[in-house]
Amino acid sequence: MFQLTATPPNGLADEPVHIRVTGLPPAQMVTLKASLKDEKGNLFQSKAFYRANEAGEVDLERAPALGGDYVGVHAMGLFWSLKPEKAFRRLLKRDVINNPFKVTLDLYDSVCLQDSTTAQPRASQMVQRWFLGPGVQRKQIREGRVRGALFIPPGEGPFPGIIDLFGSIGGLVEFRASLLATHGFAVLALAYFAYEDLPDKLLELDLEYFEEAANFLLAHPKIQRPGIGVISVSKGAEIGLAMACYLKQVVATVCISGSNAILEIPLRYRDLLVTPMRFDWECIQIHVSGAVRLRSGNRDSRNEMNQQSVLPVEKAQGCILFIVGENDECLNTRAYAEQAMDQLKSHGRSSGKMLVYPGAGHLIEPPYAPLCFASWSPALPRPVLWGGDPVAHAAAQEHSWREIQKFFRQHFSGTGSKL
Amino acid sequence: MVQLTATPLSALVDEPVHIQITGLSPFQVVTLQASLKDEKENMFYSHAYYRANKVGKVDLEYDSALGGDYVGVHPMGLFWSLKPKKLLTRLLKKDVMNSPFRVQIKLCDLQSPLRNQDTSTSMVSVTLERWYVAPGVTRIPVEEGRLRGALFLPSGEGPFPGVIDLFGGIGGLSEHRSSLLASRGFASLALAYWGYKDLPSQLQKLDLEYFEEASNFLLRHPKVFGQGIGVISTSKGAEIGLSMAIYLKQVTATILINGPNSPYGIPYVYRGYTHQSIPYSLQFLSTNALGFIEFQGIYEKIGVEASQSLFPIEKAHGHFLFIVGEDDKSINSKEHAKKAIEKLRRHGKKNWTLLSYPGAGHLIEPPYSPLCWASKMPNLHWGGEVIAHAAAQEHSWKEIQKFLRKHLIPVVTSQL
Repeated sequence: MFQLTATPPNGLADEPVHIRVTGLPPAQMVTLKASLKDEKGNLFQSKAFYRANEAGEVDLERAPALGGDYVGVHAMGLFWSLKPEKAFRRLLKRDVINNPFKVTLDLYDSVCLQDSTTAQPRASQMVQRWFLGPGVQRKQIREGRVRGALFIPPGEGPFPGIIDLFGSIGGLVEFRASLLATHGFAVLALAYFAYEDLPDKLLELDLEYFEEAANFLLAHPKIQRPGIGVISVSKGAEIGLAMACYLKQVVATVCISGSNAILEIPLRYRDLLVTPMRFDWECIQIHVSGAVRLRSGNRDSRNEMNQQSVLPVEKAQGCILFIVGENDECLNTRAYAEQAMDQLKSHGRSSGKMLVYPGAGHLIEPPYAPLCFASWSPALPRPVLWGGDPVAHAAAQEHSWREIQKFFRQHFSGTGSKL
Repeated sequence: MVQLTATPLSALVDEPVHIQITGLSPFQVVTLQASLKDEKENMFYSHAYYRANKVGKVDLEYDSALGGDYVGVHPMGLFWSLKPKKLLTRLLKKDVMNSPFRVQIKLCDLQSPLRNQDTSTSMVSVTLERWYVAPGVTRIPVEEGRLRGALFLPSGEGPFPGVIDLFGGIGGLSEHRSSLLASRGFASLALAYWGYKDLPSQLQKLDLEYFEEASNFLLRHPKVFGQGIGVISTSKGAEIGLSMAIYLKQVTATILINGPNSPYGIPYVYRGYTHQSIPYSLQFLSTNALGFIEFQGIYEKIGVEASQSLFPIEKAHGHFLFIVGEDDKSINSKEHAKKAIEKLRRHGKKNWTLLSYPGAGHLIEPPYSPLCWASKMPNLHWGGEVIAHAAAQEHSWKEIQKFLRKHLIPVVTSQL
């Protein structure tokens, strides 16, 4: 009697799941398949082939996959190797309150290539992956110009306040903020374009908008004073770094896959106007899949012609954690982070830290999120190449998520938090 | 006045085109875009950015593309870097006789190809015809006995060297390589063996007598040299090509492109004898970061039984040309060719040549064909880096013709 277990069956999306199969004939080849439908009905799937041991068991924490979407011992491989049925779709949870992602695990007692519509699995388990922990509250924010969603952990507080910024995808992306709130932070997922009455297109970065958001957080009764943190990715990380440089309200900033210079569109803050460093469009190459490799058009932020676009990180009063993937095909984030680190050093500042992940791509997300190698982006009618080697990228996501929480805890612990 | 020229405007698809632009401002950066609509109305596009020299000229034979679908000096880059608008669509000419592929080359705005491929308008463009047949080549549908295919004959009296052309897992009938070979002086029989007319709809066994029938059909044709025929074969077709070379004395020159060195998956039968095949080890398949399946791992041999399934390649009388794409993700082609050649060496044979191309993928086609990197049903990753693959196609096509001429055209020595 085959048994397929997955523990816990209901858990947070950033928690591991222990998958085991028992009751197999010894040395039996099996296929484990995972499938998920996102909120738009897009199908994501993964599979791996395992051989049962002499006791007729497959324990994903110990057994190596022989082939499929990953090879080797990867307990969470079925999750982070999920691939869209239609290429270039990105997996993103939109509604974090009302329902989880439902991942169906299927066991086939042979090497099975067919879709689940034609073959019957011998056992199935459904695993729920939630993006919000028990007791975390979500509040829709429409204060002044500020638009977003605030996630507050259960309890009295006060909690360290963090602003969460995504990139050129626009709109409001909440799943990272909600997960971080589950770990004891008050997080504001902040939209800045293509959402409600915000501008449709990003034509300019108005830092006063982000300052308004920082002040809003600091005025909240459940949020610690006197400073807030920022977690930011891609275009968001450029904004996050600008916030760190110019806003004294910001004391701890995580910049994931960002640039140290303002790119493509100008930044405005009170009297200051920072002119952008433009992509070198005539150097941009197309990947064999047809996706655009923006990295080939990146300019060098160390070139003297571009210095007016480089952010003055030495002015940042708080600490900065740079997280970069070496296989980032969108931006040369390692070079940008290194320049920022050198700039800090040359001004005698030791407030910067850099984590470089070989093999990781641009979209470094919370653990177990599937690698998005290339996807449709609102900026272009063609898919954009993000890069990343699946196994290395998964490891980077797991490691960096822990480091991010450590970083915030360290920098907020001096202010009497309850963490 | 800006002028865009491309010569020749009408040519065989394996002939290069010289593209030049004059009348630009000094050092002006321009975008060249190529577009093609296939027979099913699928669009294919490519583009590249060039900088004019100080007299406002761009010459693709000397100038380096700065970016786009390729970089560097590649006069034919716009052709072999064409990409389908709809991912996974393969460019394949079905009607090779009656119409060419039409490629439009135009100058357009810098960001047009990235932002709106379909609608970029231009004042300056040329349309090229790319033909799969030379004038005078005839196509004869073949329905003799069990045989199904199409015979392409060069113009003229002949006799011509005869070649059987076999493709692989795609099934059906692919004629584009045969029509080109005929345009280059070979009598080429594009032979279907499954998924075509009344042939089996699935491959369950390979009957070598069918291929022997085809060899005899070709040999007895009045316009074909009677001493022996050649085989050009790709992928699964190359598995068959290898078996033909071993068992059929009619075959004296065999080109094997990215094929296995043993029978896999389905058995071979020949005159009452069944040659068992090595089962695929599907558990070793892998996927790339976009989820496309790579089959190269499934050809793993398992133990001693496998060695009995190996084709006795040392029994072949004719010559072999192995063509290997080192970046082939569908089969570990390099390893298969290496083992086959080792076996030949162990038997003291020297009847082989190996062309191994770094960066080339599985689908090595005639020159200037766009790299088909992945295709549908299931989503398969064929492999290949665009620039290296293009170079492999150009080089191998010349070598293929040289090899076939050398081993199929009887040498007439002077009696003096």
